Amino acid sequence: MSKSPIIEFKDFTFRYSSQLEPTLKNINLKIYEGEKVLILGPSGCGKSTLANCINGLIPFSYPGEIQGSCKIAGNETSHSSIFSLSSVVGTVLQDSDAQFVGLSVGGDIAYALENDNMPREEMLPRVLKSATLVGMQEFLEHVPYNLSGGQKQRVSLAGIMHEHVKILLFDEPLAALDPQMGNQAIDLIDKIQKNNNCTVIIIEHRLEDVLYRPVDRIILLEDGQIVADMSPNQLLCSNIIVEKGIREPLYLQALKMAGCNVTIDDNPCNVFEINLDKYKDQLISYYSNVDTNKPLEEKKVVLKVKNVDYSYDDNKALDNVSFSINKGDKIAVIGKNGAGKSTMAKIICGILRPDKGEVYLENVNYLNYSIKELGQKIGYVMQNPNQMLVKDIIKDEVSLGLVLNNKSEDEIEKNIKEALTKCDLWSMRNWPVSVVSYGQKKRVTIASILAMNPEIIILDEPTAGQDYRVYTEIMSFLEKLNKDFGITILFITHDMHLAIEYTDRAIVFSDGKCIGDDSVFKILSDNDIIERANLKQTSLYSLATRLKINPESFIESFIVSERRKRHEKF
Amino acid sequence: MKKESFGKILLGKWDTKTIVGVAIGIALFGVLMVYGSITVFTNTNLSLAMIVPVIVGGLFGPLPAALACGVGNILADLIGGWGFWIDWAIGNAVLGFIVGSLKLYGANIDEGVFDVKHMVIYAVLAVLGNVIAFGVVTPIATHLIQGGELKITIAQGWVAAASNATVLLVAGIPILKALAARNARGTNLTKE
Amino acid sequence: MKNFNIINLTKGKTFIHQLSGTTKVRLFAALMVYVMMSFDLPIILPLFIFSIIGLISLKPSWKTIRPIIFFVVFLNVLNIILYWLADPHCGFEYTADKTVLFAYTNYLVVTRGTLWFLLVRLLKMLTAFSTSLVFIMSITPSELAAGLTSLGFTYKLGSIVEIAFRYIPDISRDYENIAISMQCRGLELDAKKTKAIERLKQMVIILIPLIITSFDRVGNISNAMDLRGFGKGKKRSYYSEYPERRNDKIFKLIYCLIALFCAYYIISGLITPRVPKMWIYWRCL
Repeated sequence: MSKSPIIEFKDFTFRYSSQLEPTLKNINLKIYEGEKVLILGPSGCGKSTLANCINGLIPFSYPGEIQGSCKIAGNETSHSSIFSLSSVVGTVLQDSDAQFVGLSVGGDIAYALENDNMPREEMLPRVLKSATLVGMQEFLEHVPYNLSGGQKQRVSLAGIMHEHVKILLFDEPLAALDPQMGNQAIDLIDKIQKNNNCTVIIIEHRLEDVLYRPVDRIILLEDGQIVADMSPNQLLCSNIIVEKGIREPLYLQALKMAGCNVTIDDNPCNVFEINLDKYKDQLISYYSNVDTNKPLEEKKVVLKVKNVDYSYDDNKALDNVSFSINKGDKIAVIGKNGAGKSTMAKIICGILRPDKGEVYLENVNYLNYSIKELGQKIGYVMQNPNQMLVKDIIKDEVSLGLVLNNKSEDEIEKNIKEALTKCDLWSMRNWPVSVVSYGQKKRVTIASILAMNPEIIILDEPTAGQDYRVYTEIMSFLEKLNKDFGITILFITHDMHLAIEYTDRAIVFSDGKCIGDDSVFKILSDNDIIERANLKQTSLYSLATRLKINPESFIESFIVSERRKRHEKF
Repeated sequence: MKKESFGKILLGKWDTKTIVGVAIGIALFGVLMVYGSITVFTNTNLSLAMIVPVIVGGLFGPLPAALACGVGNILADLIGGWGFWIDWAIGNAVLGFIVGSLKLYGANIDEGVFDVKHMVIYAVLAVLGNVIAFGVVTPIATHLIQGGELKITIAQGWVAAASNATVLLVAGIPILKALAARNARGTNLTKE
Repeated sequence: MKNFNIINLTKGKTFIHQLSGTTKVRLFAALMVYVMMSFDLPIILPLFIFSIIGLISLKPSWKTIRPIIFFVVFLNVLNIILYWLADPHCGFEYTADKTVLFAYTNYLVVTRGTLWFLLVRLLKMLTAFSTSLVFIMSITPSELAAGLTSLGFTYKLGSIVEIAFRYIPDISRDYENIAISMQCRGLELDAKKTKAIERLKQMVIILIPLIITSFDRVGNISNAMDLRGFGKGKKRSYYSEYPERRNDKIFKLIYCLIALFCAYYIISGLITPRVPKMWIYWRCL
């Protein structure tokens, strides 16, 4: 099979009209027909801009200055139109809610055909064919609101799978999916590429999850430039990913921590295929020698949930849920969408009150408190900081809650100074909210909750959609809050990495029931819970099974030594 | 940055972004009709939905604002089960156009331009727009389309105008100020 | 999600549901002209009866629409009373009848003519309401878009309507979430505890993030549309718009006849101003 480049960038530079510096600098890149390429890089490295150059949004929707050439299927994009490009390049955007423009599954799959003014009779068989390809044929009549993120993404994929498409472009396909769905998505992309023999480009920063299925080539971008263009095995054996702020796969981290020097010949890009013979003894001896004993400390119970039931109309959202939270805990609340996590959070905040059962806050039945009073004891930080930010100046935002609660001026001054200092924002207190980064915005919202001096903070997906650098920034900040100030933190999340690295205990929800409440390593080695909660086995588990050692103790040892190592660094 | 001509701003740029912007405006209008209504006495609502055309106007121009306000009103009426009142929709469209003309007098929410001068013009237009829309246009339209008692329609129009103007002033100005401030480019960014 | 469930996003099963969007929109447009053009009882009453039959045939969830119906009837009755209070003789112009039925004061009198006028007016308003209700409950937003196009509007208008309906639930979910987080921070949303103007100011706190996040989506959505060829041609087809079937053809005949009749009625009324005939029926009773 002779291969010709289907995408060819030559000395390509692009600058947005609104910016002074070019976002892409001197890109030289060839992608061949039938290749599967991963474009990797931290936020702001230019990977989305690169994608927009391929699908024609640049220069069609984003005006700017182009130097050099970018050819897609032989045509120069700057002379082409977005319509002719979009019939060759199919793009699945990161935000599946925005991409789902149709009002039903069938309507959305047909969207491009509608714009072609294709008669309905011709549309129907094509829609059915595309839907079958992604396994959504049973859902044609469904409306977007009842679909999961993964299903919406399948619909998006079906919507671009029309006959002329040669290139499939996925912009951060994993960002909004829970772990199991992420695997399914990667699997589906792989299957479609094999069946249709098209070129696939995946833009992601979650390396390990993409490598669940093989990739031909990885291109690493930094500051608008290509810094690596190599095979996955080559990349994983170099130090470049760690240097560039990309998260290393967990199993490789485990190997490296044990002092194993993995080489390309070991095929390190997949935990099931990596050659472990050389390292087996080294791994086992390292991890069996980790001291996992922790001093037992008496902890005070701050929150106790007892046999709580809650129903929306006729749907039971919580079914006899009980757990308790100790002062200073870091807890992950996990489970798939609709499992009851957010209902539980609303119950704890007092927005909803249990139909049955009790909630005690420091041994006081919390029905004694109004929402307003509870708000000062339990803080809730939303996933998207933009949904919380009201004021334009950081200081005003942080004082908003106190002002609403009619606190005295002295108290407000004192509290915001304390909160801003804890969050390292005091020196920026007079800055406008609009100029700070995402991670800093998140910190502002956390500071605005901290200013009320709550006992417990609940964070909803604190790192969703963020790259490793921002993730680390947010999480190490939260870890510091917990350690230095003893603040109890509940993370609502489906990020397994977060649970492993930063929490001690996990409470798992499924269908409104609390199906697990134990140490993170115990939860993660319990197959039954993992399956019911739509989680996936971490590669540590797979590694342990391959080594034929007990996953539970292996994961525990890993967690302990990983934390020790991290804390040494700081 | 090129200065757009007056006529261009007046007509608006009807690209996909504007279409989606108007649509989101209408959706927001509908949501605020349901959630954002504050009952003063039985039949008079202070509805925050009236803010929507101002924002759409600030972002996309007066004609998109008129469309968002007019169609938003029709859809909100239909969803709310109020029936179909073309006369009120026309009045709303006129109001949307007038209060959505921020760009015409130089306010630019997108780039953080909304100072005292703009605030005054906005306040005058908010009152004037309501008087024209519900004090004049809607009663005339009602009379032409439905026939009937002019006096009452005018009275209803005035009540609507008064409550809309209240919303546009009491809630509108702080919102515009806040949005402009949020979009303003920071200048003096030194850590203290 | 309260109050939005009156709109169907997927096609229903009953007779009216099964008509095409084009048929429903054209019929509705013709009927709106029909009901607005006159005060003639023989014109209004049949439509009122048909719209009630139509409503029942949709097999609606009465639990959802009952409060709406009560509210609208109440509001219209209130309106009628206001009309009467403003001018107790407002029906005279139409009925030429001043016979006094009740007199409270010299000013507040109930005349036969005015009572008749006001009742017909009430019926007219309720007919417009029930017809709209049948329309909105029987149509899906995509059908509405297709129907608007068939009336000669640019498909971009239809798209605006479609996208608006698509994102109403998303935005209302955002509203609820923002309201919750603000309540936790101490915002008082209880209507009983705050005055109207105060509440207005408090709502601003919810509105600012809501507006920002709502319009934040615009870029992503329009990119998604551009990438799938939105605006490519002068015309657009609709996946959810059924091709014309037998019943659509029957209704095509019906709405054409209604449109013709309306045209005749309005034009002839313009040429020779129609004597308000309401009183004639009144005399006949």
